[in-house]
This record gives sequence, C-alpha cells and structure tokens, in this order.
Amino acid sequence: MKYKVTKNDLRRACWRWNWFCVNMFNYETQEGLGVAISLAPLLRKIYPNDDEYEKALTNHFRYFNTTPIMGNLLLGAVVAMEEKDGLKAAETIQSFKTSMMGPHAGIGDTIFWVLWPTIMGSLSGYMALQGNPLGAIVWLTVNILLYILKYWFYDVGYTSGTKLIDNLGTKLNIFTEAASIMGLTVICSLVATVVKVSTSLTFQMGKVNLALQTGVLDK
Amino acid sequence: MQLVQDILIIILAGYMTVDEDGPVIMSWFPVIVGMITGFIMGDLQTALVIAGTFQLMMLGVAALGGASAPNYGLATIIGAFIAIRTGTGIKSAIAVGIPVGLLGIQLEVVCRIINNFLIHYIERLNAEHKWNKMRKLSYLGPTLFFLQTALPTALIVFSGPTIVDLILKVIPKWVTDGLTVAGGMLPVGGIAMLLHYMPIKKFLPYVMIGFVIAAYMKVPVLGIAIMGLAFGYIYYVKESKNDIKNKNVATNGEEGDDYDE
Repeated sequence: MKYKVTKNDLRRACWRWNWFCVNMFNYETQEGLGVAISLAPLLRKIYPNDDEYEKALTNHFRYFNTTPIMGNLLLGAVVAMEEKDGLKAAETIQSFKTSMMGPHAGIGDTIFWVLWPTIMGSLSGYMALQGNPLGAIVWLTVNILLYILKYWFYDVGYTSGTKLIDNLGTKLNIFTEAASIMGLTVICSLVATVVKVSTSLTFQMGKVNLALQTGVLDK
Repeated sequence: MQLVQDILIIILAGYMTVDEDGPVIMSWFPVIVGMITGFIMGDLQTALVIAGTFQLMMLGVAALGGASAPNYGLATIIGAFIAIRTGTGIKSAIAVGIPVGLLGIQLEVVCRIINNFLIHYIERLNAEHKWNKMRKLSYLGPTLFFLQTALPTALIVFSGPTIVDLILKVIPKWVTDGLTVAGGMLPVGGIAMLLHYMPIKKFLPYVMIGFVIAAYMKVPVLGIAIMGLAFGYIYYVKESKNDIKNKNVATNGEEGDDYDE
C-alpha cells in the first residue's frame, strides 16, 4: 500500500520549507533541521509505520545547506524519491542531497542572494535617496513573484525527479553568467558615481563628508 | 496613536528576520523595510532617504553560506524610527542605526547557538516517537528569530528618545563623526567586495561599458540596468544555442537514457 503524493501535499511541504528553512538555522546541521521539519507531515503520510517514519526523519536531520529558493527544486526531487522507493532509497537520497546542495547553492547564491539584491539595491537605493519609493515597490512586487516561482520549482523538482539536474544544470550556468553581465554593468556604473565622492573624501576627511551628507539630503 | 506605531514597528522588526530567513518577500533589504517604516511612521520621505543610505552601505554585503552580516534592516527600522520620532534627521539615524546593526550580528549568532540545543532535543523527541511535541516545539525556531530583532527594537522604542540621547551623549563626538564618515565610505568598500566575487576578467568589456555610460554619458542607473539586461539577454541566447549544438554533437545516438539511480 503506497501513499500517492497529492498536489496539496506538495504545496504544504513547499510552504513549510519556505517558512522554516533558515528559521531553524543552527551551526551544526545548518538547514538540516528545517528540511526535516518541513517534510515531517508529508513523511508521516508516506510512512504510516512508526519505526519507518523515525528512520526517514532521522535521515533528514543531517547537514544540509543551500540557497532556500534552490532547495525547493532539490526537496521536490527528494519527495519524489521518498514516495517511489521509500526507505530503500535512504542512502541515495542522502547522497543526492549532499552532492546537489553545493552546485545549487553556487548558482542560487550568485543569482538570488548577490546579483539580484545588488542590482535592485543600487537602483532602488538611489531612487530612495531622492525620496522616490518606486524602486522599493518594484523590488517588493518581484519578490512576491519569486515566492510564487518557488512553488513552481517544487513541482518541477517533484515531476522530473533526479534527471532535472542534468537538463537544468547547463542552462542555469549560462543564466548565471548572463545575470553577472547585467550585474557588472550596473555595479560599474556605481563605481563611476561613487569614485567622485571618495576622491574628495581623501583630501579633507571629516568636513567634506558632512558636505556629502547635506548634499545628499538637499537633492 | 504613538502606541500603535510603536507596536507596529516592533512587529515589523521581528517579522523582518523571520521573512529574511524564510520566504524572502520583504527580507531585510533597507529600502523595502524603510518604505514600510515610513508608512507606519507617516513620513515616507525621511524614511526613504535613511533607507537609501543604509541600502547603499549594504551593497556587496551578503551573508553567504550561513555567515552573519551587519543587520542593516534593523539599522534602518530603528534609525528611521528615531529620526522621525525625535525629528533629528539622518545624522542620528546613522549614529544609532550602525551600532544597532552591528549588535544584530551578535544576536543572530546567539540565536543560532540556542538552536543547536533545539536540534538535539528535537532529535531525541524523534527517537522517542513524540512527534506531536516535536512539531509544536519546532515553532520555537521562528519565534526565537522573531525575538532576535523584536526585543532590541522594543527596548529602544519603549525607552524612547531618552536612551538615544544617552547613547549619543555617552559616545564621544569623534565616534559619531567617525561613524558618519564610515557611512560615506562603506558603500565604496561594499562595491569593492562585490567586484571581488564577480567574474570581472571574463566580462571586462561590460565593466568598461557600464563605467563609460555612467561617468561620461550620465545615464541614470535605471537606464544602465536596462542596458545590462540587454547584454545579458544577448549572451544568454547566444550561449544557449552553442550549448544545444554541443549537446547534439556529444549525445548523438544516445537515445533513451536511463536516469534511474
């Protein structure tokens, strides 16, 4: 008798992952606790037997750390494996998680944790200095869209299972590089605007910087 | 009215950490947090200017792989709150905000260490098959992170301007002046750190183009971002085509791969 994972289960697991992931962060297993807690209700359905459930949960307490948004892809695939092979796949699931979290953290951190906040941060930061909330509103809106994207990631991870990494891997690498190009263009325009300030700073430290502050305010 | 504002600010500060560690909708990005603070406090302009200042300081500061970084979001909330409530402007926002942001690092480390005990307790509960208790207990994690920023904010909000006066009086003038100078210099450091991570050598032409357009042609940053997007798009389309070609060569006649483990 096998439990069939429904769409609702996936949604719930995804929701739990996205609220628990780093909110249970600790220095020993990092996001491991978040993984176990996020999967707990779904695993209970897959493993009605108490001992099996305990073993399956113990498997997920181990070290895990990746960019939360990419974790959705991985955990979707993990759910698929748990459903299909159960405890027999415990080793496979563990090695899948540990081998995949590194590369995905590399891609995810670059795009979602460094480039995206930098691009939006410089745009909306300069707008905010002039009292313009537009940048912040756009940023907030896109973040909500990104949140919806996470549910899609979880579904994709679940439906394509382990083979998704092959298909998506190179595509994501190219996407990361394309995003770096955009990031570099924006950051270097910032260099142009910031360098003017820093040269005047080196001549008269305290005074000139105060002038910068009022100058910033006056704008 | 003030009490409502106080409570909303404390909830905002607490929720900020839960959101940053969770769904990342608002996260701790100063402009977004600052905008909401501005709405709560009823002075959007001041809040935005303070938020923009902290946002630019934060560029290039990303807490990667579980590292901790100064909490500029907390700095923004408290800085903007103080500046608007006391009407003292951006200088006091920076003088109070930066120390609080640095304090944020310590608090985060403390919370994560407490979570270390939590994980052992939860693992024991799992071994004892007490799953109901385990799942109830798991909400302690988010609660802890909520308190991590809510508590210091509550302290400052309820003790009000007096504690800020105290801070500003106890800290010598050269320190606050120094912090203001540092506030001007940190964005430069942030950008330098950021460039350190990036594949500059590979994409040097784009670096130059970005610089020239900003420095000589005075295009605002939004225009440059759109241009960067165009470059990125061109690169993506070109490389995807190359990739498909390479794949066709490599996997010719290898149909029906078995992906099962």
